[in-house]
Amino acid sequence: MSTDTNKKAFSRRKFLQRGAIVLGGSVVASYLGCSPMRRFTAQKAENMDLPASISSFQPDFWFEVLADNTILLKSPKIEMGQGIWTGFAMLAAEELEVPIEQIKVEHASTSSGLIDNINTGGSTSTASLYEPIREVAATMREMLKVAASKQWGVAIGTIKAENGVLSSGNKKITYAEIASSTKEWDIPKTPALKPKSAFKYVGKSVKRIDLKPKVMGTAKYTMDSELPDMLYAVLLQSPYIDGTIKTIDTSEAAKSSGVIKIIHEGELVAVVAKTFYAADSAVKKINVSWNTPNKTQQADLIKLVTVGNGKEVNVQKEGKARSIIEDNQAEVFKQEYRTPMATHAQMEVNAAIAHVEADKATIIVGTQGPSQVRDMVAKALKLKKDNIDVHTPLVGGGFGRKATKGNFVEAALISKAVGKPVKLFNSRQQEFQNGVYRPNTHHVLQAKIDKNGQIEAITHDQATPDMILKTLLNGNDIVLKLLGSDFISAGHGASIMYNVPNKATSVWNTDVPVPISIWRAVGMFPNTFAIESFINELAKKVGKDPITFRTDMLHDKEDKIAQRSKKVLETLAEKSAWKNQKTESVGRGIAIANDRKTIAAAAIEIEILEDKIKVKKVTHVMDVGQSINPEGIKQQVESAIMMGISAALHEELTVKDGQIEQGFFSQYPLAMLTDVPEIQVFILEGDDIPYGVGEPPLSPIAPAIAGAILDLTGKALRSLPLRLS
Amino acid sequence: MKIDFKINGKPTSIDVDPNMPLLWVVRDELKLTATKFGCGQAMCGACTLHVDGEALRSCSIPAEFVAGKEITTLEGLSKSKETTDGDLQLHPIQQAWMEEQVPQCGYCQSGFMMAAAKLIKDNPNPSDDDIKNGITNICRCGTHPRIIKAIKRAAELQNQKP
Repeated sequence: MSTDTNKKAFSRRKFLQRGAIVLGGSVVASYLGCSPMRRFTAQKAENMDLPASISSFQPDFWFEVLADNTILLKSPKIEMGQGIWTGFAMLAAEELEVPIEQIKVEHASTSSGLIDNINTGGSTSTASLYEPIREVAATMREMLKVAASKQWGVAIGTIKAENGVLSSGNKKITYAEIASSTKEWDIPKTPALKPKSAFKYVGKSVKRIDLKPKVMGTAKYTMDSELPDMLYAVLLQSPYIDGTIKTIDTSEAAKSSGVIKIIHEGELVAVVAKTFYAADSAVKKINVSWNTPNKTQQADLIKLVTVGNGKEVNVQKEGKARSIIEDNQAEVFKQEYRTPMATHAQMEVNAAIAHVEADKATIIVGTQGPSQVRDMVAKALKLKKDNIDVHTPLVGGGFGRKATKGNFVEAALISKAVGKPVKLFNSRQQEFQNGVYRPNTHHVLQAKIDKNGQIEAITHDQATPDMILKTLLNGNDIVLKLLGSDFISAGHGASIMYNVPNKATSVWNTDVPVPISIWRAVGMFPNTFAIESFINELAKKVGKDPITFRTDMLHDKEDKIAQRSKKVLETLAEKSAWKNQKTESVGRGIAIANDRKTIAAAAIEIEILEDKIKVKKVTHVMDVGQSINPEGIKQQVESAIMMGISAALHEELTVKDGQIEQGFFSQYPLAMLTDVPEIQVFILEGDDIPYGVGEPPLSPIAPAIAGAILDLTGKALRSLPLRLS
Repeated sequence: MKIDFKINGKPTSIDVDPNMPLLWVVRDELKLTATKFGCGQAMCGACTLHVDGEALRSCSIPAEFVAGKEITTLEGLSKSKETTDGDLQLHPIQQAWMEEQVPQCGYCQSGFMMAAAKLIKDNPNPSDDDIKNGITNICRCGTHPRIIKAIKRAAELQNQKP
């Protein structure tokens, strides 16, 4: 093996290695704004193997060999329940030649390793780090071998790495021993990675490495974290969107027991006290009235988000779909679909602990984007980025909510005002009413059927506010102007995946007067509901079985996605016993989605009991490419099925007089144990590289349920949540 | 107000506002953080713990209510009897939760486990419907299908015990 000539001295036992990965945003920003380019970019965005979003200017990926011969991996991506730490540990164990039990994973902090440059999201974590983690682990293994070969004076080829121990003849040394006795390291070129046939872990089910702490109650979230001498703060926020203070009287609150300080700086109002209870009791004694400049009503939102309104960006154009549809309006089948606003309702509310000192700050926060937190806090405190240290404990659910606005900036400002560490967290009502929301969408689908009952031309127009560019990238207007519309997230999944000769898709981008952000599966969720519901209606119209109708449109042998999709549908038909006679009281529906090369499909059986839609059985088939942890994937599919049922049948957020109408769980019902259907999950491996699994299984659920209702009642429900009357 | 009670078997005395919700007594005063805040309105069940054997939502119970009573939180659910490998002897619910790999983000799981422990104590052979109707906690990660499996497995484990 050849080694690089440059030698690096390492601080203690830490290893660093090259891990530079393409910066996420740069892929997007490098295209021009003319429409064929936009279309190209849209296709690129839909199909791209998303980069890991790890910055190239901080290219260090940290492993640490601990004294007990365990190896600590500082995760650059955030564990919020998806199971990525377990996947990372598997990948590291695979190349390091240590048992997985010997790998520990924790989040990197901004001062202790490589962190994500944008945020953890888009189901990219494990897929994007599939090679980097193994490469770094393999390189580290070789570094240890080189060190041992020098210490022992033996050829490197005689050294074996096994179970965290190096050996050569009679000589043996643990990784920890060689790491602590080596001062200078040679960094070898990255060795060849193990072939698939030699995998010990990858592709085999492994128990989550965070299972035990979560079962024993020792897992620590932001809510459970503390700093010495910490105080508690409760924020007073307007329950109205854009509401500002009209009148305020804090005198009663100031007299409340345990209150240390009332902060009132512009619109920032908070009570700081020794305990949360004291702060919370005091904040309720503040007399306040609000200016309510935002008068938005639900009907305004519906009107704003309507196809034909806003800026049209063409994202798919094959053949002459628009002119065929226009010239044959009498024969065209046309339908409209809507999805509502929704909230994330993650169980751990947004919380942050801040300790601001003269020239530095420490922030403990459950976030999907520690680097964004660092930037935003630095800006608010007028400190250098490097002087803000962001630590992320386990995150109690994200679903996109923790990728953007939290309360960490407020926590920092309050800590600065009182000169002590402060813990701040939202009430559930603040989560509902001071949040950022999945926007409502509108879809118009049109198709012309030829004389053989095949789709000759199809168009999809989607109206949506942008979900990501303004919020995640802090309002990067230049990028937005270049792209014309946010089809990276909002338009995600808008294009028609079937092999139809003439197809066209447009995204109609509008601004809405409600704070908008991303929600699990982002654009895939509304787009799949609309397109797949339409396909189910078309199948019924031409009298074809909905699976056959789809497989007939997946005939292009050169189209790898089409071929993988066809296989998924055939598997779904077999596993769901689709061809068997069904009971008369049962309706069956299906749907499929290609979410950045992960193909997910569901066959769903429903019944109507006491005028309520009841999901009885879900058969789910997903082609993930290379699977890493099948049991972990199964967890994500079950999770997506439950969230899909929840979104399809229960969830709707509405606005009235400039206020989100729902403030409590009782006003925003979620799926409960009573919603659990019989579930069967099947995983296919249609490729050699892994694709995302966190979001893709979600999108087919709602249209498959709607398809089952259509099958049972003959009635097409075209708005979410699905309601019989 | 001084309030005396037992928590996880340990006699405890605290001096707090009698109206302070039990949740904050447990979390902030006693630093037992397995019991979680989810909504503060007894709607989600993340704060479920046992008071004199009843599963209650501690965010909506005043501290004075527990005077003279016995509280169990998730930290005290398993017996502290050390086994040979030094591990706790796991409560059947925690054992089943491990076997079925229930948690995802894990945040709501303490409340679910405490509600489930009470359910199998009262009903040693619960049906799916008993479980579905008996536990009304909220989970957003969608661990529900595994919760049902784990509760049935826990009931089996409980019934196997001498």
